[in-house]
Amino acid sequence: MATQTILEVRDLTVELATRDGISPVIDGLSFEVGAGETLALVGESGCGKSMTALAVMGLVPHPIGRIAGGEIRFGSEDLVAVGEDRLRDIRGNDISMIFQEPMTSLNPVYSVGEQIAEVLRRHQGLNHKQARQHAVELLHAVGIPDAAARVSTYPHQMSGGQRQRVMIAMALACKPKILIADEPTTALDVTVQAQIFDLLRVLQRETGTAIVLITHDMGAVCELAERMMVMYAGRKVEEGTVDDVIANPRHPYTQGLISCVPHVTDDPSAERAPLVEISGIVPALRDFGADQCLFAARCRQVVARCAAERPVSNDFGSGHRVACWQAEVAS
Amino acid sequence: MSDQPAANLLTVKDLKVRFPLKSSSIFAPKRYLYAVDGVSFSVTQGQALAIVGESGSGKTTTALAIARLIKAYAGQVQLQELDLLDLAGDDLRQARRRFQFIFQDPYSSLNPRLRAADIVAEPLAAMAADAKQAIVDELFQAVGLRPEQQRLFPHQFSGGQRQRLGIARAMAPKPQLIICDEPVSALDVAVQAQVLNLLRELQRQRGLTYLFISHDLGVVQHMCDQIAVMYLGQIVEFADRISLFKNPLHPYTRALLSAVPRVDPAMRGKSQRILLQGDPPDPANPPSGCRFVARCPVAEARCHSQPPALRRLASGQQVACHLVSDDAVSPLG
Amino acid sequence: MEKVVIDEKPVEAARGPIAEVAGMFVKSHAAVVALVVLLLIVLAAIFGPAMYQIDPFEMVWAPFSPPGEEGFLLGTDYLGRDIMAGLLYGARVSLAIGLAAALMSVCIGITIGALAGYYRGWVEEVLMRFTEFFQVLPTLLFSMVIVALFGASLEVVTIAIGVVSWTAVARITRAEFLRIRELEYVMASRASGAGNFKLMVAVILPNAFPPIIVQAALMVGSAILFEAGLSFLGLSDPNVVSWGQIIGSNRPYILDASYTVTIPGVAIFVTVLAISLVGDGLNDALNPKLRQR
Repeated sequence: MATQTILEVRDLTVELATRDGISPVIDGLSFEVGAGETLALVGESGCGKSMTALAVMGLVPHPIGRIAGGEIRFGSEDLVAVGEDRLRDIRGNDISMIFQEPMTSLNPVYSVGEQIAEVLRRHQGLNHKQARQHAVELLHAVGIPDAAARVSTYPHQMSGGQRQRVMIAMALACKPKILIADEPTTALDVTVQAQIFDLLRVLQRETGTAIVLITHDMGAVCELAERMMVMYAGRKVEEGTVDDVIANPRHPYTQGLISCVPHVTDDPSAERAPLVEISGIVPALRDFGADQCLFAARCRQVVARCAAERPVSNDFGSGHRVACWQAEVAS
Repeated sequence: MSDQPAANLLTVKDLKVRFPLKSSSIFAPKRYLYAVDGVSFSVTQGQALAIVGESGSGKTTTALAIARLIKAYAGQVQLQELDLLDLAGDDLRQARRRFQFIFQDPYSSLNPRLRAADIVAEPLAAMAADAKQAIVDELFQAVGLRPEQQRLFPHQFSGGQRQRLGIARAMAPKPQLIICDEPVSALDVAVQAQVLNLLRELQRQRGLTYLFISHDLGVVQHMCDQIAVMYLGQIVEFADRISLFKNPLHPYTRALLSAVPRVDPAMRGKSQRILLQGDPPDPANPPSGCRFVARCPVAEARCHSQPPALRRLASGQQVACHLVSDDAVSPLG
Repeated sequence: MEKVVIDEKPVEAARGPIAEVAGMFVKSHAAVVALVVLLLIVLAAIFGPAMYQIDPFEMVWAPFSPPGEEGFLLGTDYLGRDIMAGLLYGARVSLAIGLAAALMSVCIGITIGALAGYYRGWVEEVLMRFTEFFQVLPTLLFSMVIVALFGASLEVVTIAIGVVSWTAVARITRAEFLRIRELEYVMASRASGAGNFKLMVAVILPNAFPPIIVQAALMVGSAILFEAGLSFLGLSDPNVVSWGQIIGSNRPYILDASYTVTIPGVAIFVTVLAISLVGDGLNDALNPKLRQR
């Protein structure tokens, strides 16, 4: 892609202390985010996609987790090396985040206007009046009707969709370069989800913010993202443009993720074949980091080499990278 | 047996469920929220019927009322010869063997103090111990759990395995009807396929009838033969699976279907979305005419005043919309 | 945190909830020490009198003989009675009253709390108003009235303590029932054909037990204190020795022979402290948030 890279994660390793010792929950992860693009991080729960977001935000849970290696280059800085003060400046200003549960991520005792204004006062140095005025504009921009009146309502007085709009207004208040959206529509109804997707698309066009969309829903990926990265057990298994990966998934895990969920089609047939299952479940944390393919135990195409060597990521053209021994053979 | 016209196993007529609202003063007349407001449908023996809708549509309330887990205010629920809403006490407890429930959340639906075998055997209360054990053994195998796992407690199972336990429990008394309330929505994507395949396989083997509650249209399209779309406590469209997805009639059904993102690179950026404005209205104050009127892109004057009834078209589809023509053409074209 | 589950769990790991709680309990050193101390006190109360054959009511020596002198380990009181014997016999009474009163208040509290939390509506209204009535009563005065009316026997004292201290259990039980009755497994049991009584007693109550057990343990301690208070005021059975009674009867001589009051005082202090430490340990062990799953 010709766009300028604004975030570059190189060889990132995050370790988590568990009962069974130290596990690399993110294991040598590298990826880039281009300015204004949307990158989807896809995988089951426990694959490390949320932890990746936390690492970028500098919010790896302390003291049980720590960044053990690698770098996160944002502009000219390495976010792994800068201090907590600088991270606080960056969070909510240059990189901001919205969460899955819009109820619990808003503070119930402050009005939504105060919560947005607080961000503006902190990062943009606006005074009370300016911040409040700007909060109204932001609420209007995210499609809250009658924003001037709604600015003083409290989170519990709003519907789930409206609360997520408020979260988006707050996250975009300082025109961040990157917006990390962690399952932003999972808790919402499908018609409301469509509204939020549209809103994100429009706002992205206006502000040029890059979006990192964390999701398990291939529908959301197709809807919003240009590029996607599939993660499994803390590692990147496949990466490429959404068109390439969805049309031609090369990693057996990606293939499984796409076909294990029944997708709506407009022309259903009478015959319904059983869904493709991915047997078993995600490996235990203590098995993360082993020198083998961690998907081997659940893989239908497994060969001896998968359990013996960790697959290396290979480029199959136009940035479609896959870490699988069998993908190599297949091409 | 497939030649015989299939009989209705479950018939629901004009079901209503209401909840009292907190009134502003003790002298104010008592107000009610009608979560389910006159729902009628029937489920054919051996088939799967889905009730789809968004949160607040009353789909789960409908299921709970049919299963006699909450009180219905009015209506009739007929399971073959049994009138479920009339049953009480021991008669109801006896009848419960014939209809079972699979819950949404596999984490809160299993009693943490019981071992897996006892959870599955719970609906078999009155049976002799060895007969119970035989059924538990058979069910553990049928749902794909290992016999030695019978001694474990729920927290020692993964989410998918817990839902298998929930399914085994529902199958234990050999019910005719199984009501599945969002059985996979709390599970990880990769595990959903396992559970859905298991449900289909058990239905095929045992000739079960499913009443399936879901908000996930992909799951519904895969699992169900007939589909009822609910909006604000009422059914707005009822059709067989192929008609509903090929030719959705009600504007709400259209909007709902168009809102589901398609996993098809060829369709990217080309979908014709009918974007609904706003949120569903407050079910405590439903609009006087059609309940969908405030969000409907094609609403006319009569939609504001006359509530449309659910009517059966020549094509067999049922729809509650003034603007759908009798030859099954949707107002949205 | 991200949840990762393991497929092939060894079946040997099938520990019951009780084993699991015991495993958590022993992780707290203070609670284990307290439990050992408590067990020693209980053993002393059970076997002590048989082994230490001195009647606590008998005047065995001159009054106010200090501890360790004249062969009496803890000295004698104002009537020349052996304090060691008094402590051992008194332990029986104090512990018995503590346990019985706690048991009684747990039974009353669970019944009222369970009915209120399960049935809700007017049942809850009535029962909770009733509970509040008992909460606002001045407990010491009320139990003094009971003892004064019905005579100072062990049974009456136990009942007087039990009757005034069940409200906390009732509130906790009600709160737990309100929470648990909404969980799906309760609905699942109902769908399996369980009736109201079975749901309350066999499904919800066992899951509501953890905080109730903790409260009950703490209540044993406060019942012992309560009994000591009543005895101190002279409102206890004059025919039995209890720790509070020893303190109460030696009260006038506190400046001349302070050990006659401090020794039973320390016994009460140690026992109540041990009980509440055990209660805290139980609280941690029973709290599922702290338990690793």
